[in-house]
Amino acid sequence: MATEQPPEPAVSHHVRKQLLAARKFRLLGRDRDWWIKLFFEGNAAISVVVLLLIVFTLFREAAGFMPGNRHNLEIYRRAGLEYVDILKRQTTEYAALGRQLSAVRLAWLQRLRAEGLDLPAANARLAAIDALDGRLADAIATHEEIRSEMTDHASSVKERVTVGMDMAEVRKNLLGGIAGSDAAHGAKLQAGADAVVVEEIDFTAEVNVLTTRFPDIQAANRVLAGELNEILAALPHSGDGVIDKQLTRLGDRLAAFRKGIPEWEGELARWRADRPVSFLEAFNAFAFGREWVTASFWQDWYGVLPLFFGSVFISVLALAIAIPLGICAALYVNQVAPRWEQGLIKPYIEFISAIPSVVLGFFGIAMLGETLRQFSQVAWLSWVPGFPMQERLNGFTAAALLALMAIPTIFTLAEDALQNVPKALREASLALGATRLQTILHIILPAALSGITAAILLGFGRVIGETMVVLLCAGNRIAIPDLSAGLGVAFQPVHTMTGIVAQEMGEVVRGSLHYRALFMVGCLLFLLSLGINYGAQKIVRRYRLPQS
Amino acid sequence: MTLNVPEKQVTAFIGPSGCGKTTLLRCFNRMNDLVDVARIGSGQIRIDGINIYDPQVDVIELRKRVGMVFQKSNPFPKSIYENIAFGLRLHGIRQKAKLDEAVERSLRGSAIWDEVKDRLHKSALELSGGQQQRLCIARAIAVEPDVILMDEPCSALDPLATTKVEELIHELKEKYTIVIVTHNMQQAARVSDHTAFFYLGKLVEFAETQKIFMNPSNPQTEAYVSGRFG
Amino acid sequence: MSTPPVKPARRSILRQPSWAARFEAAFFLLLRAGTYGVLFAAAIVFLDIGIKGGRVVFQLAPPFINVPFLTQAPETLNVVTLDGAKVKMGDREFRAFRDAHPEKLKGAPVETYVYSAGGIFPNIVGTVLLVVGAMIIALVLGVCSAVYLSEYAKEGPFIRLVRLSIANLAGVPSIVFGLFGFGLFVVALDWNVSLLAGWFTLAFMVLPIIITASEEALRTVPKGLREGALALGATKFQTIRTNVLPYALPGILTSSVLAIARVAGETAPIMFTAAYVVRDQMPWDVEKWTDFFFQGVMALPYHIYVVASKIPQNDYTRDVQYGTAFVFLFTVAGIALTAILLRARLREQYRW
Repeated sequence: MATEQPPEPAVSHHVRKQLLAARKFRLLGRDRDWWIKLFFEGNAAISVVVLLLIVFTLFREAAGFMPGNRHNLEIYRRAGLEYVDILKRQTTEYAALGRQLSAVRLAWLQRLRAEGLDLPAANARLAAIDALDGRLADAIATHEEIRSEMTDHASSVKERVTVGMDMAEVRKNLLGGIAGSDAAHGAKLQAGADAVVVEEIDFTAEVNVLTTRFPDIQAANRVLAGELNEILAALPHSGDGVIDKQLTRLGDRLAAFRKGIPEWEGELARWRADRPVSFLEAFNAFAFGREWVTASFWQDWYGVLPLFFGSVFISVLALAIAIPLGICAALYVNQVAPRWEQGLIKPYIEFISAIPSVVLGFFGIAMLGETLRQFSQVAWLSWVPGFPMQERLNGFTAAALLALMAIPTIFTLAEDALQNVPKALREASLALGATRLQTILHIILPAALSGITAAILLGFGRVIGETMVVLLCAGNRIAIPDLSAGLGVAFQPVHTMTGIVAQEMGEVVRGSLHYRALFMVGCLLFLLSLGINYGAQKIVRRYRLPQS
Repeated sequence: MTLNVPEKQVTAFIGPSGCGKTTLLRCFNRMNDLVDVARIGSGQIRIDGINIYDPQVDVIELRKRVGMVFQKSNPFPKSIYENIAFGLRLHGIRQKAKLDEAVERSLRGSAIWDEVKDRLHKSALELSGGQQQRLCIARAIAVEPDVILMDEPCSALDPLATTKVEELIHELKEKYTIVIVTHNMQQAARVSDHTAFFYLGKLVEFAETQKIFMNPSNPQTEAYVSGRFG
Repeated sequence: MSTPPVKPARRSILRQPSWAARFEAAFFLLLRAGTYGVLFAAAIVFLDIGIKGGRVVFQLAPPFINVPFLTQAPETLNVVTLDGAKVKMGDREFRAFRDAHPEKLKGAPVETYVYSAGGIFPNIVGTVLLVVGAMIIALVLGVCSAVYLSEYAKEGPFIRLVRLSIANLAGVPSIVFGLFGFGLFVVALDWNVSLLAGWFTLAFMVLPIIITASEEALRTVPKGLREGALALGATKFQTIRTNVLPYALPGILTSSVLAIARVAGETAPIMFTAAYVVRDQMPWDVEKWTDFFFQGVMALPYHIYVVASKIPQNDYTRDVQYGTAFVFLFTVAGIALTAILLRARLREQYRW
């Protein structure tokens, strides 16, 4: 290699001395630059640390949920609440029959009125069905009576269990204080702890009180079956085709219910209070539970399914609006619009993304919800499924606003993707005599497809994680929407995962099962967002276009 | 290969693109430390007999001794004065008087004083390309290095500006050892005392400039300087 | 060339617009309609809140701005029916009136609406405090991270991990940040509902935005400036301090303004970490200076949530609802607009 050799030693001396001069600053054997670099490196590590902290915090707070919920379900079973709920399900199903009968009666009445009968005359024609209505209601009375007695008993047992647990907690706290205090105070604490009565509950005896009613229920079932037979036989005929069809359907359901009675009985007979609750059962109660009921006197349920469904439902609805519009705008701005229009539309859409979500939510409550509802009441729109709307705050109201939030995300990323399509492709296509539209549809869109897919995924991530709009506008009814309503399902109120956390987090007792359940929902949201993000990155990396 | 760069003379590196001239030049003040791919494998670069890749060598001090002028002029977006004073301040000179004096000396030294003396505190970005490049040279000599490395200093300049920079190089060799990488053979012939011809990463020939251009001993060199390839 | 085959080609070039051309025009029109539909929808939001809220915040008589609304604390609104006319009174006014004329109130029906009188001053103050603190933390951490990523980092597992974390952090929903802040700062570190907890929660939330934007700004600084400084014998850090950061700073700050809009606009992260529904003291009424950091504040976005969901919608509550939304929306939108304009100017200014 190259070497410079000095002819004059005079220069050499001074250069040599300087080149080999020791650095001044040293700490633990490292120089200043090393420490500065370490400082910046530490800062860069913050992102990793924050992500780990999020994981750690969420999972730590949620960790107690599974055993807690298992305990919760165990008490539910051992105190006999589950037993009572079997009976309750039977009576609830029965009540639906009564409602159907009333519906048939109403339809029939309207038919009769339409035929020109006045109200007393029509009611007279319906006397037979009214009699049946009364009989139907009376037939379940014994069940209801038994159920109500059993409910009182079971809930009092549960109440005692809860009090017992609280007392045990109090005692533990008092005893825990002894270790760190002096003798006199310790004695006082000990005395206090001794004074706390923790009731030991004899679950077997308590549940026996419930299960000994089984013969009564059997007897009541026999009576009910007999009654149902008679009601079936007495079901009137209307002579009107439509009504008759409805009556037949009602008859079928009554018969089916009667046939199902032994099954209810079997379920009651098979039920065991001491069957252990497995972890899987506790997990399933969360992941697939259809009920989210909290602070109930009877039993708390933490089933995330309706919330998960609500979140996905609203997101899909919002994306159904946002994807076409977002891509439409991206195509227009990138491919069609003249430069001056681009310069206006792009910042404007970016500006939309700056609207705070809580303001959009407020707009939904104050304006959009009511406007949409009034719009839905316009007579000539009644063919639209779900119109007129029952509630002003529903899935659609929230989704429309969420779409407005997702459009900027989708637009910006999709526009980037279109921009990244090499100019040469477009020019080659045009040079072959393709029209601009053909070029867009056959060349540019397919080339940008991965970027657009990623844009849609990230839009999905943005929407499903959004809180304030859904909290304010989605109607907050914790139930899986009635999918039988067809497209009208869009106009039913729902509740979401983000919404439930925001709504209930402020009010729960720290460390309670409810609190942990909310953190479980948080974990689920977090994992979901990681998954979406990962998918988007993967798509972008995998299908990246070669850049010129 | 071994190459002895003589002191207080101009040595030119010529050769076709991609033959490693610039990379070698940047090894002389360890600017290649910044790039991962370029590492000194075997061999040594010695200044005054000191291997500059010796771990004891302070790279900061080295760069102070071995200044560099880049292909694309890169004046800092500050005033002309601040551009020159930047290096001096780095090395601990704070007194206004000293700075003023050094600024004037280096600007005079790089033959640009007369053009900028009235607008020392205007932005350096307002200068023309040739002036910017001479400013960069002034900036380099302000810290009084022993060696100045020039990486195609005229490639982005028009002929008039090039002439001025070449004249400057001629003056500078009185005080500094200069190594210049150039694409332009005429330029090498005009300004340098010694010329090294590189081809495909190898040193093909190193001799006095006159010899390289008039009577090269290597046929490849002859082919190149007579314009048959490159 | 005058051979017959030329003629049809010639004709096809000159042919009138075909169905394909018409279809294309229609399609483009559709695209345009969709685009303007979006713009229109957003305009409705701005107009509705702008007009209805503007009426609350501005007035026709001097000083043209509703000063009490911007300088008073929220109060309960009492609507008293006196002699058949409904009279609106703030809580203090109502009490004074009750003490002065107890007889008039006898039997008079009184409706009360919380937070519907007074103003939103403490909320504005709280939001400003939250934003300033969070941005300081986020800028320090974010810019230093970006300096490492753009100036020091060499490709490797650590950098890949950092980039992966940043990308994933950007996708975490804001409510999850809220839960995280609550679980870590409020519960585990026992800071309670406090400014400090809110600052860190918000700062971590915008960290990815700041890092990405700062890194981009740092990368636009030309390599020549770094090399020039290094060649003069500057150390790496001297180079960064004198020749990289100053030129990247406008870009960093501009992008940070967008981050400010995000910090100011989020509600979910502060709901359980920093925001109170109502608080009587102003933030500076603290006994010890350390208490300042450990106090919760009232904040505009949370206030909007409260007045939108917890009180009925009617003529008496509409003023405070729309007024608050107006102040909040146009503050945030103003910040965002500044950022967008600044960036457009910056792009023209810095062409290296």
